[in-house]
Amino acid sequence: MLKFTIRRILWLLAVLLIVAFLTFSLMHLVPGGPWDRDKPLAPQVVENLNQKYGLDRPFLVQFVSYIWNVLHGDLGVSYSYQDRGVTQILMEGLPKTGIIGLSAFLLALLLGLPLGMAAALKQNSLIDYISVFFSTVFASIPGFVLGILMMILLAATLHLLPTGGWGSPTQVIMPAVALAALPAAYVARITRASMLDVMRQDYTRTARAKGLTQKVVLLRHILRNALISVMTIAGPELAFLICGSFIIENVFSVPGIGRLFVQSVLARDYGLIMGAILFYTTAVAVMNMVVDILYAVVDPRIRHD
Amino acid sequence: MLKRSGYVLAIVSTLVLILTSCGKPTPTSTSTTPSSTTKVTTTTSTTTTGSTTKPPATTTGSGTTTTPATTPSAPQILRINLSGEPATVDPNRASFVAERTIIMQVFEGLLGFNQDLTLRPVVAKEIPTTGNGGISADGKTYTFKLRNDVTWSDGKRVTAKDFEYSIKRMLSPELAAAYASFYFDIVGAVQYNGAVKETDANKAKLRDAVGVKSTDDYTLVVSIAQPRPTFLQLMALWPAYPVREDVVTKLGDKWTEPPNYIGNGPFIMTEWVHQDHITLKANPNYWGTKPKLSEIQVKMITDANAAMAAYKNNELDIVAPPTGTERTVMADTTLKNEIVRYPEMATYAFQFNLKAAPFDNKKVRQALSMAVDRAAFVDKVRAGVGKVALSWVPPGIPGYDANLGKDYDFNPAKAKQLLADAGYSDVSKLPPIKFQYADAGGNKVIAQFLQGQMKDNLGIDISLEPMEPKSFSQMFGQKKQTWVFISWTGDYPDPDNWLPDLFGTGLGANRNEYSNPAFDALAKQAKGELDNAKRIQIWSDAQKLVIDDAPMVTLHYRERFVLVKPTVKGLKVTSMDGKTPGDMFYSGVSIGK
Repeated sequence: MLKFTIRRILWLLAVLLIVAFLTFSLMHLVPGGPWDRDKPLAPQVVENLNQKYGLDRPFLVQFVSYIWNVLHGDLGVSYSYQDRGVTQILMEGLPKTGIIGLSAFLLALLLGLPLGMAAALKQNSLIDYISVFFSTVFASIPGFVLGILMMILLAATLHLLPTGGWGSPTQVIMPAVALAALPAAYVARITRASMLDVMRQDYTRTARAKGLTQKVVLLRHILRNALISVMTIAGPELAFLICGSFIIENVFSVPGIGRLFVQSVLARDYGLIMGAILFYTTAVAVMNMVVDILYAVVDPRIRHD
Repeated sequence: MLKRSGYVLAIVSTLVLILTSCGKPTPTSTSTTPSSTTKVTTTTSTTTTGSTTKPPATTTGSGTTTTPATTPSAPQILRINLSGEPATVDPNRASFVAERTIIMQVFEGLLGFNQDLTLRPVVAKEIPTTGNGGISADGKTYTFKLRNDVTWSDGKRVTAKDFEYSIKRMLSPELAAAYASFYFDIVGAVQYNGAVKETDANKAKLRDAVGVKSTDDYTLVVSIAQPRPTFLQLMALWPAYPVREDVVTKLGDKWTEPPNYIGNGPFIMTEWVHQDHITLKANPNYWGTKPKLSEIQVKMITDANAAMAAYKNNELDIVAPPTGTERTVMADTTLKNEIVRYPEMATYAFQFNLKAAPFDNKKVRQALSMAVDRAAFVDKVRAGVGKVALSWVPPGIPGYDANLGKDYDFNPAKAKQLLADAGYSDVSKLPPIKFQYADAGGNKVIAQFLQGQMKDNLGIDISLEPMEPKSFSQMFGQKKQTWVFISWTGDYPDPDNWLPDLFGTGLGANRNEYSNPAFDALAKQAKGELDNAKRIQIWSDAQKLVIDDAPMVTLHYRERFVLVKPTVKGLKVTSMDGKTPGDMFYSGVSIGK
């Protein structure tokens, strides 16, 4: 297991380097730069800006010096928010996005798992139909539509919650719920499907034939096997939620990092694009690694060495 | 003043707008009907705002009108929305309207603007004129006498040295300030700003050679290389506001956060939660008339629908309704009484590339201009917000001519005749016409409007080419466009900011290859003309040449359409406002019942 983990971490570094290089190249290939504006800047000003941010140097020199700085914990400067470093911008936004992402993740599991389990155990019952209905509806309604609906109902009409912003726990509720809707529906569906699958397996029948109680069969045989597929989607989903959602953060004015991904690309903020991409890559890779390790914990048949 | 509204923010908000289908997204707005509310005093300057204009007698040195103090019972907190995080609040470096909104509360310059956009002295004791010895006879030396009672928010005295430091910092190549080029008339400014590859010793020499000198604590002498009649207006803009040398030297680019963000204005910044909000509080050490507000809460809600919901939930006092929802707002029984509308210093146009056929033909250009029903645009596409534009310099700015461009009033028959004169009685013989636009905000709707007008009124098929906004900007910068939608938002209220750079041969913002030697000659003359009335007349003549040449189809003048809670008292709006309405005069605002 240790060997496996070390190998995966080394792979992660290689992946990060490749992603960094690709992103860096693409950024410079895409037409339009950070100083292109509707109202043009004076040529002298553009020259000064390029000099200031090292954009006048050869491409490879820029890349190597960027990587060198990253290795020293400095993600460089943001061209949009020139007074703050990328590291600072990400570090300030991360806790906010993280809190909302984690809340949404827990909410999705707390809603999705029981709903999916109940639906599988009582297939074709009322609760199954409710579960399927719930999953279909929340999988189809985009989170931001749900968000706006909630905002209109709970904030603008009933005045129960603030419309957005950051600072009090009440401001977490709506974005977390809006963000949780889709993964909750997804988790419920996957849980239901894989439980139904496991329940039809021979070993489940054997377990019941052995005379094990329903509780033991459910916990030790069905759930444990069914969880493998739930974990497969939960890992990347958590990574996705922690990295934030552009739309949800935009709608609820959450000062997180989710908005930065899209904003930085639109603004050709090379520094922030790189920082955001590297962060996102790391998050997804780490979550996949954690899931792989957890597989072995949940299912003893899976061995990584 | 640059507007991001053009593209970046528009994309962001419109993405959500489109997806939520909460209304037709169209960009910035404009109109003619008066607001149903009267609580806001709107002034459109019709007087000339040349450098020699005297400030009205009713204003004090600090610029706030002297009204008797009332004891208001409501908390004196104004809540506004900046629609996003300001990129920087460093006065020397700022270039976007949202940045200016913050800077104007925290800093004050030598000069400022009145509500009618005439100049007023702020830190300076008086406006320099040739009469009071402030301007030399040759118009090249400006002497500013400073008040001696102006303090920074930490209590230290504001001196001429602070201004000298600030202006030289703004011009330094290291700072790479976007607006540095506005001040290139100052002696030695171009050389210093261009010294980017020089040694430190040479840079220091060039810096010392810049024509800005504090001769004593309260006297600042600025020398310019050639007469510049609008120089005082430039000195009233934010890049020339003072900054504190000791703080900036100590903290570098990071000085713009509280408590280091020291200013000399009526408010101080006490909190900045990035991407979320800024808290401004009344500056206890303010040297002028203290603001009535104790606090301004500046939110950064990027989504226009969310901002509207926040306004309805009483979290904001002022909001701009999402573009496309104006008619709904006007029909709302409550909201219609909270509407405030006023003209902005901004013009929109469909600009030709004069080197691209068929736009190299003046008659074709004039014909196309006549074939656009601007009134229908303002009414149908802009919900009646905005004003039809037949010329370029907008109302409220000296040099505006209400009679100019009347020939371009909607007239399809005359347009067809002109096309025939140009040899295109059969429009299918025209070269293919392409229209490029940044695919953001409501630009698509606007492009489709133009396409429809050309088809319906002249039978011309034009092809639309949507582009990613930054790619569009780059392509436009390289002059590879053929026909594009442009907007121009003024930096200061003078034709000097509206004409030469855009229409002078080969100049910075002239991206449509317009070249008219007669215009260039007039522009040169106007730039050096010290008699203000004569100067404005020359610009007026110059604009006539441009309009006659029809390098663009002027479309509309923007109008601001906002909602203000009835509790907000004393809001003074101007066509020069920054991101939020009335932000040039928040110190006079109070909150009532």
